[in-house]
Amino acid sequence: MTKTKKNTKLYLLALVPFFVITFLFEILPLINVVIESFTKTGGGGFTFEHFIKIFSTRLYQQSIFNSIWISVVSALAGILIAFLGAKAANAASAKVRNIFTSVLNITSNFAGVPLAFAFMILLGNVGILTLIGKNYGISFLADFDLYTINGLLLTYVYFQIPLATLLMLPIFSGLKKEWREAVGLLGGNSFHYWFKVAIPSLLPSILGTFSVLFANSLAAYGTAYALLSNNIALLPIRISQQYIGEVVQNQEFGCALSLVMMSLMVISILITNKFQKRTGGAS
Amino acid sequence: MAYIEFRGICKSYDGINQVLKNIDLDIEKGELVTLLGPSGCGKSTLLRSLAGLEDINSGQIILDGEDITHTPVQKRGIGMVFQQYSLFQNMNVEDNIAFGLKIAKMDKAQIEQKVKAAIEMVDLAGKEKSYPSQLSGGQQQRVAIARAIVMEPKVLLLDEPLSAIDAKLRRELQEKIKKVQKELKITTIFVTHDQDEAMIMSDRIHLMNQGIIEQSGQPVQLYTHPVSKFSAEFIGHYNILTPEQLTNFFPEKRFPGNFYAIRPETFLLSSEPIQDPEFMTFEAEVMDFISRGNVLRYTLKCKNVTFTSEVLFRSFALFDVGSVVHVGIEEHNLLMLND
Amino acid sequence: MKIKTHFGDALILFLVAAFLVVPLVLTFFYSVFTEWMDILPTGFTLNFYVEIFSDGAFINSLLRSIIISIIPVVICTISILLVLYVITLYVPRLEKYVEILCNIPYAIQGVILAAGVISLYSGKPGFLSNRIFLLVGSYCIIVLPYIFRGLKNTIGALNVRCVIEAAQVLGCSKLHAFFTIVIPQMKRGIISTMMLAFTMLFADFVVVNMIAGSAFRTAGIYLYQTMSKSGQISSAIIVILFITTLIISTLTLMIQNKAVKSTKRREA
Repeated sequence: MTKTKKNTKLYLLALVPFFVITFLFEILPLINVVIESFTKTGGGGFTFEHFIKIFSTRLYQQSIFNSIWISVVSALAGILIAFLGAKAANAASAKVRNIFTSVLNITSNFAGVPLAFAFMILLGNVGILTLIGKNYGISFLADFDLYTINGLLLTYVYFQIPLATLLMLPIFSGLKKEWREAVGLLGGNSFHYWFKVAIPSLLPSILGTFSVLFANSLAAYGTAYALLSNNIALLPIRISQQYIGEVVQNQEFGCALSLVMMSLMVISILITNKFQKRTGGAS
Repeated sequence: MAYIEFRGICKSYDGINQVLKNIDLDIEKGELVTLLGPSGCGKSTLLRSLAGLEDINSGQIILDGEDITHTPVQKRGIGMVFQQYSLFQNMNVEDNIAFGLKIAKMDKAQIEQKVKAAIEMVDLAGKEKSYPSQLSGGQQQRVAIARAIVMEPKVLLLDEPLSAIDAKLRRELQEKIKKVQKELKITTIFVTHDQDEAMIMSDRIHLMNQGIIEQSGQPVQLYTHPVSKFSAEFIGHYNILTPEQLTNFFPEKRFPGNFYAIRPETFLLSSEPIQDPEFMTFEAEVMDFISRGNVLRYTLKCKNVTFTSEVLFRSFALFDVGSVVHVGIEEHNLLMLND
Repeated sequence: MKIKTHFGDALILFLVAAFLVVPLVLTFFYSVFTEWMDILPTGFTLNFYVEIFSDGAFINSLLRSIIISIIPVVICTISILLVLYVITLYVPRLEKYVEILCNIPYAIQGVILAAGVISLYSGKPGFLSNRIFLLVGSYCIIVLPYIFRGLKNTIGALNVRCVIEAAQVLGCSKLHAFFTIVIPQMKRGIISTMMLAFTMLFADFVVVNMIAGSAFRTAGIYLYQTMSKSGQISSAIIVILFITTLIISTLTLMIQNKAVKSTKRREA
């Protein structure tokens, strides 16, 4: 009996590295973020002042709004394009599908600072397309302003597409040909098939994809930072500014902003889980 | 003293359900015994407790005069073949078989020689350098057997080693195992849920049910003389009838006890009345019949009692559904059970 | 009718692919021409590549990137292998809790993790506030979910318990069996998981920028600092970083496909 107990202690040693790492860099920082968000700047006493500031200041309201807006819109755009792309790829020949998948795999690595730079040379103030627009009088190219939230949105849509499509492709191959034939036999048309059968059965996976995309763009930083530096109302930028910005740094306030952003992440995950369970259970 | 002794073995995983209920079992040296029973009866647990892969709650296990109840797995001197293919996929056949010998730090030349002999014994010469993924299921189990016997274990444990292998190869491997066992005279415990397999393989069968040993004996003994309802049903597809039901067949007789077992093939079926005085006779209606290869199985009914009878498939033994046949049975084929 | 839909599909695929490929290709062209004032660039040159490769600062930053991406991946992989060892062979019910710990990083991606780590450790005494130490630790957390999932799937495809029991009966200890039999069988899965994690860290900008900044100049930071100076050199750097990532992720895909094939064969 004593022998078994000795062994018990020995194999538990194998858990040490994992728990040390997660404790030091996951659990403790997480707890600390929560505590500091309710701590007065520079230490001392409990306070709600950071959250009052966040929800009453225009800049931070705008940051929260922009972050949600750009994440939702880019995720929706990504899903729409991915839906069409995956549907087309699913119908295409194996060769075309392989080429398309390769393009997705390759471009899914293109994000962050390099992506921002590529769009600058494409559509920046002296970007190639901008110059072509100016030279040939194509106004929507000449007047396109990359350095706004709409410009940023375009870059976000760019990095959402490969990810979204790669997530959607396997979902599409799960659609059974028999379903379509069954709809046909029952007198339904293409519209019926897509809106009554295919999309409802794809919905849980689409929602899952949406959640991944939402989190992906909510957390995105490099592209926005490279494109607009600190001149944009966006949560990640405002958070990092509390630590590395030129303005006065305020670590407790940074924690409060982080907590807000974390809540958004968690809410999106929870909503998706709920939807997935419900839809999954019904079908 | 027996070679292997289980003394009062109790085992429970959750503290409520007893998987092994105070098992006592002796196994003699050189025997091939089978632990037979339906899934969940505790046969694998008993085997694994002998190997040391399962702790027991109470009891004692003695192997070759030595109490091994608390000996670690590694030191018990046991060979084992598992149900799933448990070969080391990253090693070839030779290395798999040599694994245990290398752990035991045996010298190289000796390992080589032993491995070669083991490979020949299981007819795998030429496959030494193959990897498990290149072998069939049957070949993999042969390697597993070679890997176990090369260690010259005190006892060889086979935990449903053939259940994942298709019927034809299975027969072949059964023969192989039996042959190897007889050649090496190695004490072997074979676990299976397949009563045919148990009949073919064993010197002795221990039939298990719900954590106890229901009946032990030589295959023929078990087959012809089941002691309980469970044995009768599990081993021979016996008809189990109550004394009241039997009285329906033979109104002039009285039957003591609670249950009787009648083997389906002991009934004599005839279109003519049976004259032989050895037989007790009655009439029954043919409800259904199916052909199982060389055997015809009839479902018969007599005064609301349904039973089955098996006869060899010969043309004169054909009876139509709905027809009434004369049924005869010798009295010694009515086996009174202990339940 | 059929040809028409086919054409529509092809058009969609072409447009999507074009939108994705154009910025990439243009960045490449931008790095090999001196001027681009109209539709077509002029003055082909490879000077920009020559320049960055003769610049020790860039090579150093590239090396830093590689090293700081490898170390956390190795640490994290070993830690998780050890945890999986305990889960599979001793305490299966631990898996639930480990899984939760490995999923939390999804909710604290990027900027939140960095903010949490600096808030806690900056200004603390000794090694705790060492930027490299903090960076390695944070990187471990970033790749944690991916490495855990990758390794768990790999080990799940094997029949670990049975193989370990077989080894034990042959006289081998559990630990020895895990390292000589189970881990060698996981080789492909481990390597491809590590490579995937590597490419994630190699592409990191946010965490290194917040935690270390110019104190530890990785290729990402170097690129960011070069952007305001020279467009062409920046695009050459991007091309180099991108090709590095591409080689590694292609190798990863190849290893994964091979692993899938060999598991399938094993099952057959």
